[in-house]
Amino acid sequence: MIANLPNYIFFFLAFIAIFFAIMVITAKNPIHSCLYLVLTMFAIAANYVLLNAQFLAIVQMIVYAGAIMVLFLFTVMLLNLNADSEPVKSNLMKFAGVIVGGTLLLLFTAALRKSIGDAEPVMNSIPMQIPNHSNVGLIQNLGWVLFKDYVFPFEAISILILSAMIGAVVLGKKEKVQLSTND
Amino acid sequence: MNEFITLMKPELLLMAMIFILLISKLGVGFNQSNLMKLIQGMLLINFIAGFFMNGEGQLFDNMYHTSSLIVLEKNILNLGMVLISFLFTDWFKKCDHLAEVFVLMLTALLGMFYMISSGNLLMFYLGLEMATIPVAAAATFNLEKKVSSEAAMKMILSSAFSSGIMLFGISLIYGAMGTLDFSEIPALLNGDSLQVMAFIFLFTAFAFKMSVVPFHLWTADVYEGSPIGITAFLSVISKGAIAFVFVSTLYKVFQPFHEIWYNMIMVLSVMTMLVGNLFALRQQNIKRFLAFSSIAQVGFILIGVSSNSIQGATSVIYFVLVYIFSNLAAFGVAGLVSFFTGKENIDDYKNFYKTNPLLSWIFALALFSLSGIPPTAGFFGKLFLLTSGASNGNYAFLIIAALNMMISLFYYLKVVRAMFMDKNENPILPIQINFATKIALFVCGGGIVLAGFFGFVFDYIQALVK
Repeated sequence: MIANLPNYIFFFLAFIAIFFAIMVITAKNPIHSCLYLVLTMFAIAANYVLLNAQFLAIVQMIVYAGAIMVLFLFTVMLLNLNADSEPVKSNLMKFAGVIVGGTLLLLFTAALRKSIGDAEPVMNSIPMQIPNHSNVGLIQNLGWVLFKDYVFPFEAISILILSAMIGAVVLGKKEKVQLSTND
Repeated sequence: MNEFITLMKPELLLMAMIFILLISKLGVGFNQSNLMKLIQGMLLINFIAGFFMNGEGQLFDNMYHTSSLIVLEKNILNLGMVLISFLFTDWFKKCDHLAEVFVLMLTALLGMFYMISSGNLLMFYLGLEMATIPVAAAATFNLEKKVSSEAAMKMILSSAFSSGIMLFGISLIYGAMGTLDFSEIPALLNGDSLQVMAFIFLFTAFAFKMSVVPFHLWTADVYEGSPIGITAFLSVISKGAIAFVFVSTLYKVFQPFHEIWYNMIMVLSVMTMLVGNLFALRQQNIKRFLAFSSIAQVGFILIGVSSNSIQGATSVIYFVLVYIFSNLAAFGVAGLVSFFTGKENIDDYKNFYKTNPLLSWIFALALFSLSGIPPTAGFFGKLFLLTSGASNGNYAFLIIAALNMMISLFYYLKVVRAMFMDKNENPILPIQINFATKIALFVCGGGIVLAGFFGFVFDYIQALVK
């Protein structure tokens, strides 16, 4: 019972995450949808704690649940979206969606089922192995990995962010140009 | 340190150019035409510098690796970039955000270089994102037009979607194998169904970026809406870079799965050629026409990829080189016409020969090369692709490809007929061609004619692939 405790906690958290994820897409009100997404993010963050990735869990909460969700909420409120303005999807679209989603689910289940059947011992031992590396998620180790093994992608991404900023500035300027011509 | 500079020279040069352009926006204002000259000069120096002092090796724990073949691929892309900066001089000069457009395009090029040199899926993904996001921003630079914003929106959404699929595939690969390193993956591929699934996701994302049918739906709208310089960049440089990476990934990393991807590529190739050609038949807008023609060309590239041999890799790289010349020549002429007259319909090109003989000859040459008529280089490109595809002995596939070449001949020659033979009351007025543009058009034309005759180009690439 005790040995399997992480597994039970995992299933509980996974259930919560999936439940709220379903609520995200079924909720009629966009704001409710956003709030359910926050809860999904929290459940996933709790899963990270279970994997000994404490820093990742904190970052997940601060960045996703904190910053990004606030942005979402702002956008939804500023655009004044609500249940009435939601586009109505035709039955044909819904039907096609169900077929595509169902086929993907079937494929996944089949692939995983076959894969687990092939390599049963490996799959079962993964959750049990993790507590042994209890230092894996500490900031110190993360820093070592980030600035030693992955230093190149870490530095390279700065140019991508720079270019995204430049693009955003140019697009932001566009509004000003139009306003000044209107005046 | 010395090794770092020699190996990463192409990337470092691009970064230096990006920062020079950024600084040029501060304080001392260049006027547009001086800035344009600065950019063209820098790109030319960058292209020439690509031939000297190159090394082979890997850096950062195999995150980044380079070889003579990779250097050649980067040089081909650099050449395309130089040609674009010369061909669309007029549009670039008029653009309000000249420095920014080039910063974005150079960042995308930098991303492609990272992608080609990547030795790790993580780095590869980063390069891929870097190669798409800046171009999506640049696609909206026709600031006064709504179609331009629409194009950027469609591109960013579809590329985000395909990136999501790719990331899912990458995470499944990591889950199934515990590594993302290209040198370790091949030994761990054992045909497990989870691995196959992961591979298919990765493959799908590639197909998205190369606009292979049925993942091509974004292509025509994005090409039509973007400013023509960006469209040329998208259709030539982006596609070429992805084709290079596609070949090296499939041949080196996923070699154990070649039976799986052979079938996938065969089906996709047939669909891509057919849909690309049949839709190109009924296009009236010249940009949409070129978009569907470039989809059809990707179908032909896939034939070469499917051969899984040294000759296959060689023919793909050779074809991309030829494709850069021919497609850029076509886009160059279409860009001049649309910039000076605003006309983009094929019907407007009627009797184009009478008023603009030079442009119509270059355009005709480019279309001949795209359709694969001897003695243009396009003929040799397609010939090599089909012969390497034939090494598998799947002749039904080749017959379909040959039939598709016939269909493509029809619609390419339709444009040529409009230019040379059809009567028109008010044809496009004579266009004053900029000196830089003229040089680039002649280089493209020369490339189309000469690349086919100089057999050593193909031999040289083949020696490097080995």
